[in-house]
Amino acid sequence: MRGTGSSWKLLALAAILPILVLVTINLSIGDSNHSESFKRFGNALVTSYVLMGLLLLGNLFFYADSRHRPFAPLVGMMVAIGIGLLVTWALVSNDDLLLEANSGLRAQVLSNIVHMLVSATAMLLAAVLAIGATFAMITGRKRRILFEEEE
Amino acid sequence: MLINQGVAVHDMDSALEAAIWFWIPLLLIPLGMWLSLSGKAKTPGKILAFSSFVLILISSWTVPSSDSTASGHLLLSILAPSLLMAYGVHGMIFGGDVPVGKLDSSARWSGTLAVVISLTILCLMHWYNLTPLWRNGEINPYWIVFWPTFLLFATSLCSASAIALVGFGENRLNEAMKLSALSVLIAGIALVAMLFDGYFTTAEEFRNYLWLAAADILGIVAGVLLAIAAFAIVIWSYEKSLPLPASSPPPSEDEIKHVISIANSHIGGEEE
Repeated sequence: MRGTGSSWKLLALAAILPILVLVTINLSIGDSNHSESFKRFGNALVTSYVLMGLLLLGNLFFYADSRHRPFAPLVGMMVAIGIGLLVTWALVSNDDLLLEANSGLRAQVLSNIVHMLVSATAMLLAAVLAIGATFAMITGRKRRILFEEEE
Repeated sequence: MLINQGVAVHDMDSALEAAIWFWIPLLLIPLGMWLSLSGKAKTPGKILAFSSFVLILISSWTVPSSDSTASGHLLLSILAPSLLMAYGVHGMIFGGDVPVGKLDSSARWSGTLAVVISLTILCLMHWYNLTPLWRNGEINPYWIVFWPTFLLFATSLCSASAIALVGFGENRLNEAMKLSALSVLIAGIALVAMLFDGYFTTAEEFRNYLWLAAADILGIVAGVLLAIAAFAIVIWSYEKSLPLPASSPPPSEDEIKHVISIANSHIGGEEE
């Protein structure tokens, strides 16, 4: 790789390219509009932000053990999660912005959490396959002898 | 009036049942994992997380009235191929050249076979009658969420891994080509699902959900990155606000003499 910046860009491109190719093929075959995709993107974003924020809030207890239990980061993270919840409430309450085929705010929030559970499981299983295959390729190669003394 | 009251009471009961048998166990899984990882209560944490997970898996029987339990039913349906895949990946990695925990070289082949079988089972769940069925013989609504998300994310990660192998390793072109082939294979499965109907779902349904899956993946990744950025900002701003630690005073004459005497005894070996 030429530099750290270009390598990250190349990695990001490699990650996004197969999705773009499949979506483009889908678009060329496609026969309907996909206005619901934006709602799904928005719901996935706010839900994953809040849930990940809660996980990291739990992580702050480990951090607190090494810093004489400060109160400030805990409050800061709670404020960050609170903003996420507020944005979720504002967007879902606004009639047609993020509300999918659910009856109201509570139903949409619960549906988002369940949806996240399924999508996160799918992504986790995909990660097991991809990362596992990568390590299997690395360990599958015959060990190279670097020095004669190794023999 | 009486009928309305009855309906309201029934609704409340089903909501309470869903809370007890689905939502509370769902909350207890991360709590149990946290207790286990923090070391505060390792074994009770593991037991809590595992028993809560089992309750989620069987929730479609404990609270059949709740729509949310379809997710638990789906997790139970894909449990076998997922475990088979994890077993296969373990065999493929540790059957190779690893310094610790090396398995017999046959584990590599049996692992590959297990991964192929698990992928085949997942394909059969789409194109044959292994599709998870939920209430009244209807297809589980989350299957069509899970399947395109898995395919899209797997092809994306395999492609990124192939580039990472070439970019960060030396002489890794062969391995990168194999990973690229896996990425193309998974993209091919997605393409076939876009063109040909499944056993219970149509190609059009799959195409619609592929859009939603792409939106889901991008949304989740963006949300997670935002949360991590917020966390980093909180920690950084707190650490920045801390006063600089006070410098300790220089050693006294007695302390210097004590250190010199210890150093002399080690260097000179006078005590021996």
